[in-house]
Amino acid sequence: MNTRRLSAIALGTVVFALVVTMALRGSAVRVLAQDSACPTAKDSYTIGFANLTEDIVFTQLVREGMVATAEEMGNVNLVLADNRLDGATALANTENFITQGVDAIIHFQTDEAFGNVIMARARAAGIPVFAIDIPMPGATFFGADNYYAGQLAGEALAAWVNENWDGQADAMLVLELPQSGPIPAARMQGMEEAFQNNVETPVADDMVFHLDSKNTQEEAFRVVSDTLPAIDEDAKIVAVTINDGTALGTIAAVEAAGRGDNLMVVGQNADPSGQEEMIKENSRYLGATGYFPENYGAQLLPRVIDVLECRPVPPSIYVEHVFISADNVCDYYPDNWPDFCSQ
Amino acid sequence: MSNLISADPARLTPARRRKWLTDDTLTSLSLIVSFVVLCAFFASQTPFFLTQANLSTIASTIAIVGITAIGMTLVLITGGVDISVGSVAALSGVVTSLLWLEHGIPLGVSTVLGILAGALVGLLNGAIVTYLKINPLITTLATFSIIRGLAFVLSEGQTNLLSNEAFNFIGRGTVAGIPFSLLVMLALYLVFGFILRYTAFGRNLYAIGGSPQASRLAGIAVTRHLLIVYIISGLLAAFSGIINVSQLASSAPRAAVGLEFTVITAVVLGGTSLAGGKGTLIGTLIGVIILRTLDNGLVLMQVSSFYQDVARGFVLILAVGFDQIRLKLGQLQRSKGV
Repeated sequence: MNTRRLSAIALGTVVFALVVTMALRGSAVRVLAQDSACPTAKDSYTIGFANLTEDIVFTQLVREGMVATAEEMGNVNLVLADNRLDGATALANTENFITQGVDAIIHFQTDEAFGNVIMARARAAGIPVFAIDIPMPGATFFGADNYYAGQLAGEALAAWVNENWDGQADAMLVLELPQSGPIPAARMQGMEEAFQNNVETPVADDMVFHLDSKNTQEEAFRVVSDTLPAIDEDAKIVAVTINDGTALGTIAAVEAAGRGDNLMVVGQNADPSGQEEMIKENSRYLGATGYFPENYGAQLLPRVIDVLECRPVPPSIYVEHVFISADNVCDYYPDNWPDFCSQ
Repeated sequence: MSNLISADPARLTPARRRKWLTDDTLTSLSLIVSFVVLCAFFASQTPFFLTQANLSTIASTIAIVGITAIGMTLVLITGGVDISVGSVAALSGVVTSLLWLEHGIPLGVSTVLGILAGALVGLLNGAIVTYLKINPLITTLATFSIIRGLAFVLSEGQTNLLSNEAFNFIGRGTVAGIPFSLLVMLALYLVFGFILRYTAFGRNLYAIGGSPQASRLAGIAVTRHLLIVYIISGLLAAFSGIINVSQLASSAPRAAVGLEFTVITAVVLGGTSLAGGKGTLIGTLIGVIILRTLDNGLVLMQVSSFYQDVARGFVLILAVGFDQIRLKLGQLQRSKGV
């Protein structure tokens, strides 16, 4: 044996080693290539959107905005569901979305306690989740900057009192919604603190009445009616309210007691019924912080696509807030009030 | 809800009826005593309770529950129940506002049509209960959901503002310083109290509640009576809905949520039996006043709304508990009589 045979074996070994090395290297290159490309990127996406409820105007506008944006984008197939203000229903909707093989889930659901379970199911299925207005652990948050939204309304009310009532109100009604936890509480805190910090003479603590509106006009009407006897007949009253509906109930109660001239109210949302009230002549509704639910879809859906295509997205995305009043309602909603806006 | 077990023709004898009146009088007296104790308690806790302004507040905000409770009392006396009243109240407001605002129908006509919509729902309830023989609880639970849904469909979930001076007078106006809605409510109590006590129709309702079968054998047109009672309940609930819209100056499909439970609590608290055949409008009126006073006093004391809910729940349990005790005592008396 010759040297020739040994050389052939050595050459063969070297060739084999080279081939194996090349093969291994090639697969490693392929693995690296797959890692650097986005595994969830596709030509089109199926996104599940579970709305808070379909019973209120605000959420109807959110859904309409989502649908319109999805149609405009062209590569998004939206699967709709209704959480019916119920955590168990939100969980069931999550299961349905997973079964339907959605690429991402947008949840607008009220029950914080179900957040963990919903997120565990979605995480196990490898589906990213976006939470509107009520945070869920691990989900990208999208929605209101609640304290700031409250501040805007509180500051506007304080400015009005400083200008029209010599900087002093005698009593303050805080129409809140304690059953819904810290999110609406942040709005209320923002309104109350901003008012008290900006008005020339803050309302005395014992004349600040925290009332549970239960999120309905009737309940706001009832609790405000029941509280008015504890406030002097000629007292100047300010009210900060969780939304437009409770603002309307508050105004109705004070007007029914014949004390409407000594009242000024601010609220949250600025939905069409609130806008209609604030543009009335001699309205007691100064205005409300706008959330622009109709724009939620346009702001959120592109961020969902960013996540699916592996582009960076901040953990919290806040909507823009503006205090809407009779002075600027035509800038934002000219089509709602053509007669008023043409004046 | 009819209680066939307690059916006893002897209950219809004049002697037995006199006994009932004695029971009813005692019930009313015990309610009045409870009311006085409640007022004394709140008066000791807050200086604002016994003020004219507060009493006026209570008076001006009692009509919605009070008027709906009249219809509910009649329905419960016949052994039925009407869970749909809150939804009917919402529907009447929505129908009225849509007819006026979107179809340009004069507000007075729209209001009448809104109330008639409630009567129509009452007719539907009565027809299902009597002709299809479906349990009143199930029937009105179904219409509770259907009618609320219809209110949302018609209004598209929107709140509509209704600003009209004459219309607002229904819920906010006063006559000689007395709330107009309170006067209407008291007039309705007088009318229906008279009907219940002094007319054959009223007496027949008790008989039907005691035993529909015995009533049929006695020649009472049970089906017609039940239809009328459910129509009255729908009509009065719809009228309450109009007062609600007038007070709030707006209509919303979510209006009057939970009204049925408040009304049933007040009626049962007032001594009307869930088993049928027993109850008075004066008892109902006192039950309504007690509930409203309780709510008012707790708000004035600035008690947490969560505790207010607990208090209302306790009152309901107490009311139903008393009803059960009354029922057992009645059965005991009857068995001794036999």
